[in-house]
Amino acid sequence: MKQWVEQFNGRMDAWGRKLHEKEIRIPIDLVTGLVFALFALAILLVMPDQVAVSEKDVVNGRAFPTLLMTVMLLCCAMLIGKELYKLATKQPLNWKVINIQVEAKALVILGILLGTYFLSKWTGLFVVGAVFCCLGFLLYFRCRKKSYYVITLVIAVAIWAAFRFALGVDF
Amino acid sequence: MLQYIAPATGLLFTLENILWINIGVFIGSVFAAIPGLSVILCVILFLPVTYSMTAIPGMMFLLGIYCAGGYGGSVSAILINTPGTPHAAATMLDGHPLSEQGRTKAALKIALYASTFGGIFSALMLLFLGPQVARVAAQLGTAEYFMVCVFGLTIIAGVSGKSMIKGLISACLGLLISCVGSDPMTSYDRFTFGISRLYLGLDLAVCLIGLFALVEIMSKAEKRLDRLNLDTTQIKDDGVITKEEYKRMARPVLLSSIIGVMVGIIPGTGASEASWFSYNTAKNMSKHPEEFGHGSVEGIAAAESANNAVTGATLIPLLTLGIPGDGTVAIMLSALMINGLNPGLSLFTTQGNIMYAIMLGLILVNVFMLLQGKFLTTLFAKVVSIPQEILTPIIVIFCFAGAYSVNENFFDVGVALIFAMLAWILRKLELPPVPILLGLVLGSMTETNFRRALLISNGSPKIFFSSVYCIIFLVLILLAVGAIVRGKMKERSTQKED
Repeated sequence: MKQWVEQFNGRMDAWGRKLHEKEIRIPIDLVTGLVFALFALAILLVMPDQVAVSEKDVVNGRAFPTLLMTVMLLCCAMLIGKELYKLATKQPLNWKVINIQVEAKALVILGILLGTYFLSKWTGLFVVGAVFCCLGFLLYFRCRKKSYYVITLVIAVAIWAAFRFALGVDF
Repeated sequence: MLQYIAPATGLLFTLENILWINIGVFIGSVFAAIPGLSVILCVILFLPVTYSMTAIPGMMFLLGIYCAGGYGGSVSAILINTPGTPHAAATMLDGHPLSEQGRTKAALKIALYASTFGGIFSALMLLFLGPQVARVAAQLGTAEYFMVCVFGLTIIAGVSGKSMIKGLISACLGLLISCVGSDPMTSYDRFTFGISRLYLGLDLAVCLIGLFALVEIMSKAEKRLDRLNLDTTQIKDDGVITKEEYKRMARPVLLSSIIGVMVGIIPGTGASEASWFSYNTAKNMSKHPEEFGHGSVEGIAAAESANNAVTGATLIPLLTLGIPGDGTVAIMLSALMINGLNPGLSLFTTQGNIMYAIMLGLILVNVFMLLQGKFLTTLFAKVVSIPQEILTPIIVIFCFAGAYSVNENFFDVGVALIFAMLAWILRKLELPPVPILLGLVLGSMTETNFRRALLISNGSPKIFFSSVYCIIFLVLILLAVGAIVRGKMKERSTQKED
């Protein structure tokens, strides 16, 4: 078992080292401007379907979201315009470096969170998800101290018990 | 004011309130003492707990966390040279050197006394200034209130991140999310995409758990697992503060408390700005400026009194105008509104007993913070070194339990997870999350006032420029935008020069 864990950790380290060297550079302001401009346009497009209004209303339920999306579009236009000006005048753009290893680790954490959620939901027992969450994170951190496993699991069950019996939350 | 004091005192001094204050102070101190955990995270995690409480114990609990958070950050700053909260960074400059001189307990005591003084001073300011500002606020109509909301949102959007434009995009996103659910004026559903559970809108606590708490867990991917080793034998000094030191502390403590109150009243500024500004002022005014950075008692006292003096002051614009000074108090606004307490003069008149009980309670919070700090400092010091391996899953379980407990269904937990993913993407795009929080909190108030004002004017936007107050707020917005843009440009040119 110990050998298997060592092997697994060694393989993970090798992958980690490979991923650590991989980076993506994105022109962050330009991308932000484009993403949110598209988002604002999409909201404006779905607005007639999603916000019902009455003909009699002087100011209907679409007025405020429309105002917000107009402001968002203006902000996006300013961001994009600023970056395009930089491109035209050959000034350096605002770049963001995204490290693939960090993103992969974040995905693993997200996996633990989703696992906790689905286990709790499918079993209907929150405590099952809580135990999975503890084990998931302790393994993620490669914790070898048995005492940490015991402490964390006891606290997890205690939190469930506090919500279940002291606060009367039904799960 | 006096007619409210006696009934408010009666409402405040109950066993339930005292218990919740102490629980809040304890939790706030522990959270703030642990580097990596923040006061805002703590308030978000425990917000669902207050849903089942009435206004006074709920607010006492949250205020306990908020105020103790101001002091708790100094514990790790002094002990391990790592500020538990960003605003304890100034305390660290002198706190840790004093600790290294073998006077850890003395440093912790100075921080505690200065924090308590700053907190009580600020609470008294709230008690006296709050009702006066509320009287001015009572003269505001719907159009003026809309301008007030825009003013608050603009400032927070401007100061929250590197770019004001990105801050505004975040604020718009927050306001849009607040539109999900039934229309506040017509009850037609909006942006529900056929999901019936969205008809009642998205719960603030659930959104915040995703936006601020779960995303912090995901950000563990960016950080190395730090081992914070604490030698608890170092806090076994006698902790004596000499008469001479008390005398030297008096002036910076008073001056910093005044600075803290003034900074706290301005939306968008916070404890960090107050503590640095006070620290520099104390250094400039000190007879021993050479001691600053080497364990000066004046330095610790100035920074700590200022960051706690902000606590009561931020509540002045919050309770009178509904403008939260920072993210943490924005959450408190929602806790107030859940109990039917809407900001403005009516809060100080029709709900006067409750309001005065909360304001007096802030003094009590500081008293209990002093008592807990005096007797539990060693315990607070020990939590500093709780390993991340244990803390991380516990926070996740708290997040999930908190999100579930709001409506007792897993749909909300799923929503919190979606918000965590959204927050992760926003973080990558360098969009600040605090304006989203403010948008979520102020969304309903902003929209209602916007639409009511337009209804009054029959759809004419001229109403937003028609009164003196509207013009004052418009000028303030323009001045704030100008100042923020100028500040950012200066910052960039300094960075380029460096």
